[in-house]
Amino acid sequence: MFNGIAGGGAEDLPRLQSTMRAIELACSYIQINTNPAAAEATILSFHQSPQPYKACRFILENSQVASARFQAAAAIKEAAIREWSFLSTEDKGGLISFCLGYVIQHANSSDAYVFSKVSSVAAQLMKRGWLEFTPAEKEVFFYQINQAILGSRGLDVQFIGIHFLESLVSEFSPSTSSAMSLPREFHENCRKSLEQNYLKTFYSWALDAALSVTNKIVESNSDVPEVKVCNAALRLMHQILNWEFRYSKGGTKGSINVFSDGMRSDTASSRKTECVIVQPGASWCDVLLSSSHVGWLINLYSSLRQKFAFEGYWLDCPVAVSARKLIVQLCSLAGEVFPSSEYSVILDLFNNLDNAQMREQHLLLLLSGVLPWIDPPDVISKEIEEGRSGSEMIDGCRALLSIATVTIPVVFDRLLRSIRPFGTLTLLSLLMGEVVKVLLANSNDKETWSYEARDILLDTWTTLLASMDGSGGNAWLPPEGMHAAASLFSLIAESELKLASASATTDEDDADCLASVSAMDERLGSYALIARAAVDATVPFLTKLFSDRVARLHQGRGTVDPTDTLEEVYSLLLIIGHVLADEGEGETALVPDALQTHFVDVVEAGNHPVVLLSSSIVKFTEQCLDANMRSSIFSPRLMEAVIWFLARWSFTYLMLVEDCNLGSNQLQSLPSRACLFTFFNEHNQGKFVLDIIVRISLTSLMSYPGEKDLQELTCHQLLHALVRRRNICFHLLSLDSWRNLANAFANDKSLFLLNGVSQRSLAQTLVLSAYGMRSSDASNQYVKDLMAHMTSSLVDLANNSDLKNLAQQPDIIMLVCCVLERLRGAASATEPRTQRAIYEMGLSVMNPVLRLLEVYKHESAVIYLLLKFVVDWVDGQISYLEAHETAGVVNFCMSLLQIYSSHNIGKISLSLSSTLLNEAKTEKYKDLRALLQLLSHLCSKDMVDFSSDSIETQSTNISQVVFFGLHIITPLITLELLKYPKLCFDYFSLISHMLEVYPETLAQLNSDAFKHVLTTVDFGLHQQDVDIVTMCLRALKALASYHYKETKAGNTGLGSHASGQTDPNGVFHEGILSRFLRTLLQFLLFEDYSTDLVSTAADALFPLILCEPNLYQGLGNELIEKQGNPNFKTRLANALQVLTTSNQLSSSLDRLNYQRFRKNLNNFLIEVRGFLKTK
Amino acid sequence: MSDEEHHFESSDAGASKTYPQQAGNIRKGGYIVIKGRPCKVVEVSTSKTGKHGHAKCHFVAIDIFTSKKLEDIVPSSHNCDVPHVNRVDYQLIDISEDGFVSLLTDNGSTKDDLKLPTDEALLTQLKSGFEEGKDIVVSVMSAMGEEQMSALKEVAPK
Repeated sequence: MFNGIAGGGAEDLPRLQSTMRAIELACSYIQINTNPAAAEATILSFHQSPQPYKACRFILENSQVASARFQAAAAIKEAAIREWSFLSTEDKGGLISFCLGYVIQHANSSDAYVFSKVSSVAAQLMKRGWLEFTPAEKEVFFYQINQAILGSRGLDVQFIGIHFLESLVSEFSPSTSSAMSLPREFHENCRKSLEQNYLKTFYSWALDAALSVTNKIVESNSDVPEVKVCNAALRLMHQILNWEFRYSKGGTKGSINVFSDGMRSDTASSRKTECVIVQPGASWCDVLLSSSHVGWLINLYSSLRQKFAFEGYWLDCPVAVSARKLIVQLCSLAGEVFPSSEYSVILDLFNNLDNAQMREQHLLLLLSGVLPWIDPPDVISKEIEEGRSGSEMIDGCRALLSIATVTIPVVFDRLLRSIRPFGTLTLLSLLMGEVVKVLLANSNDKETWSYEARDILLDTWTTLLASMDGSGGNAWLPPEGMHAAASLFSLIAESELKLASASATTDEDDADCLASVSAMDERLGSYALIARAAVDATVPFLTKLFSDRVARLHQGRGTVDPTDTLEEVYSLLLIIGHVLADEGEGETALVPDALQTHFVDVVEAGNHPVVLLSSSIVKFTEQCLDANMRSSIFSPRLMEAVIWFLARWSFTYLMLVEDCNLGSNQLQSLPSRACLFTFFNEHNQGKFVLDIIVRISLTSLMSYPGEKDLQELTCHQLLHALVRRRNICFHLLSLDSWRNLANAFANDKSLFLLNGVSQRSLAQTLVLSAYGMRSSDASNQYVKDLMAHMTSSLVDLANNSDLKNLAQQPDIIMLVCCVLERLRGAASATEPRTQRAIYEMGLSVMNPVLRLLEVYKHESAVIYLLLKFVVDWVDGQISYLEAHETAGVVNFCMSLLQIYSSHNIGKISLSLSSTLLNEAKTEKYKDLRALLQLLSHLCSKDMVDFSSDSIETQSTNISQVVFFGLHIITPLITLELLKYPKLCFDYFSLISHMLEVYPETLAQLNSDAFKHVLTTVDFGLHQQDVDIVTMCLRALKALASYHYKETKAGNTGLGSHASGQTDPNGVFHEGILSRFLRTLLQFLLFEDYSTDLVSTAADALFPLILCEPNLYQGLGNELIEKQGNPNFKTRLANALQVLTTSNQLSSSLDRLNYQRFRKNLNNFLIEVRGFLKTK
Repeated sequence: MSDEEHHFESSDAGASKTYPQQAGNIRKGGYIVIKGRPCKVVEVSTSKTGKHGHAKCHFVAIDIFTSKKLEDIVPSSHNCDVPHVNRVDYQLIDISEDGFVSLLTDNGSTKDDLKLPTDEALLTQLKSGFEEGKDIVVSVMSAMGEEQMSALKEVAPK
């Protein structure tokens, strides 16, 4: 319908016109929403028609309908990218210059979106041809652009030129480039070429354009058209500096000494505000630094500032925003753009200093430009509160953040001193103090400028202080800075407390509360850094705040409503926890450096501020053991904070083992540090505090019935953290309080009331503590005693003659769930030392488990727990088991699978409720996932085996067992259930693992099972998820290469599965490999997929072709026959030929050949996919 | 090791239709009585009464017989009633014209007081399966004096 051959004659004017009318009509139909489907189809078929360029040009030049012109531009792009490989060089160049010429000619007309589109099409096509065009060819285009930008053809053309470069840069930048179905390598090469050869030129063009209009703007008092050009140029400059520079860095990055030149090269801290460090490399020095670039920009902005009163200008007008953005960005300039000493061999100190001075000069210049935006803070914040826009102030904060990112604290502080009587840190402190005050004043309104400013400033502090914290502790803030930090922290702490007491009575929405907890954690982390920057003042300050609040609680007991104060204590505990200790995240958290190194004059532990603070808190928390205090003061929420604090604190301070919690060596000798380290160790107060902690835990578990969050916190955070430390286990087992806990666990009914997760975690914790026993035997005995009661209750129940009726009683169901959770917890705590006891525990409940599986077949909640227990138990045990034990466990697992399957196959739920039906489906999915996990764990026996049996011992054939297991459960895994992503993932990872490791076992499966496995693989190939497709392709590769190698060696390989067979009705069924060869070729040539898959697909296709060479030949010929165009026919034939012959590809399946074939397939697809996909 | 053993005693049939259980312990997928109806819990969330108050549980549950949605809020340390839900499997022996089924009980007698499900597709499947001579097992769920067919399943003849 839309055939217009490029460069053809003008004889088909009527046809072009009719095409144009069709498209215009379709566009207007879409706009008025009349029969949109048909209109879309028209446009789509236009996009997909072969060589529509002529029609497109015609529409662009003649149509009055803007959206039709837009569609024409889109069609050019789509068709040209698709057909690129067989366009002639003239056509390619012609299309680009047409697009460029079009935008330049029509520069002054309206419909901006059409021009954006056309110029981005030009950019995309230019990128597509980037690696094939000669420099001279590119020069032609860029000459045109440069002329435009120089401004000789008017402001509109100048603007268009800059705009085109913007599209071009964004097209070349990996994160914003558009897909061209080419390998990633292509994009990378384009990016490299642009960065090395053009980017800086573009920047100076933009700069020149901006300079050329600056005077006009500065001199005028109203909005002039030059502003538009200036804005575009600033935007382009900003965009170019945003480029992720890669290729201009020399090899000297590692040698930058962070401390000697006062600049640092990296920041890995996590922050809310994005701050990209600009590192364009040495060659940019002349553009960015040597010329008066920064000075010009600062002057431009300050003259804009004076115009804000005039019409057409205001604080947030585009050009002002762009200018501020660029200023902020230049603040984060770093790296080799500052000329370092070229002759580093001589290591000229003076030269180095010169370089540092140059950076400081650069930053000072910027800072002095930014200063009016933020200083004096109180005046500015007042203006904003009175209605001025806050954006300039926020940009000022951003500039401080950028500067902080590239400097160390000392240099940061020094910058301001040359122009003000105080340092930058003081300014930062004043500024943030002001913001915090404003924030407190309007705390109920969340979308204010002060929130954003607070976060940015907090990030600035974090950036400055985080680097210090990790650098050995000898880099303190300058005294004035410390003072600034201390006063800021006290302001922050006070305001947090005020906020807390104000919010104590409000009943916050739960979801809202949860979301803000992690945000709060982050914020408190930053506050803690500020506090640690001035510990001499802040730790005593916190101690005072805490004792004040505690005293207030005691005074008012029974008479005053304590809620406000409770909330304050709650917040204080969180703040102090963050200041005193870091989040361990699974690692041992060291005592923060600042706390180790300060307080040098303290010689007695009792006077150490940290000890004082910790002790006063421990003493306070101990009071919760008293029932009266509990009811009047220790609310569940406060207890949560107490438990959280104790967990965090004890992990850092309690019973330190000297060597591992040691910071830097040179600090060892400090007496104050020794005080801090020994006070809570095992010879001193440690055991006493540990006892208190265990008693508090037991209290929170027993005396707060139904407080799920508190109990989870106690089990997961506190107790679990304690038993993870081996030296603490020894002490725990000697404590009466721990024995009480274990006893209560085994016997006390109230602990049966904990929720499931806590049950599990508590069992795990108690079993892990067995490590503290002196010998392995004693450990095993400990576990046995602990769990004996659980196992025997399960055995008793299973042996009860009236089990069927009894089992369905709610209290029995609850008991069974509880016991199963505990068994599961114990099973997941398996360690070599206690493995025997846990093995026996599982062994003794094997039969009860099968019995319960039978009686609870309708009680899905119990079934899931049963399965999960077995999964965890097998996971913990399998690698330790001897051959005969393995056989027993495997048999048990197989009966479990069989019973489960017999209950569930063909079962139909009759529930009327769709919710319940969906729930049932989800339960099924969870069960099956557990069963797949069970099979995967069994698989691992072949990989990890600690048993004492020699390899020769006749042992269970794991692969057969697992395939048998798969055979049992695959009928339950319907294609419907595979839509659950996690199940799908587990299933296919198991399948691909099995096929890769044991293809020979698959060959032995009966044909039904075999068919089922491969149907699912076929299903997986058509999934959207790249991981799933990859796994299926790997499975195919394994299958085909196994067959190929086997048959080559004269064996049968997959036998009749591969050769195909004739069924009783005489119908021939094609072999499995032939079927997949078809599927895979269809997939590769005609479907949409991520280019990441091509290599894996090549690995699967190669052995498939080798297995079925005749079919491949046939399919190839079929494809060629289908092509109408004789030109395409020969191209396709050649490509197919090259695919299997080039790169010296031979027919052996080795690494080298796979590699060659990958390369061949990539080239093949680039060559032919374009026209094969054209309809 | 213990002084408080758990004993499993068979209660008299029908002696107790519900059992008390702490609200904090009732989880998703469990049963609960709300407004006198036996329900299956599909959603549990906890919240606090005021910041420093005690936890309470919010249950969303579905009546196991009528499929109606019911909700309840209970302090988590309080007790709720949990229904005793019983399920028995019977072999299907006949489908009568008036929509009732005949089921074979364990002791050899028949049970004829249950109606077929109303879902059309299911009904045809059941009938055709039955006419083909397949063995069909019906699960009957009962709680608090009511009963209903809850699931069915074809079993391969042994």
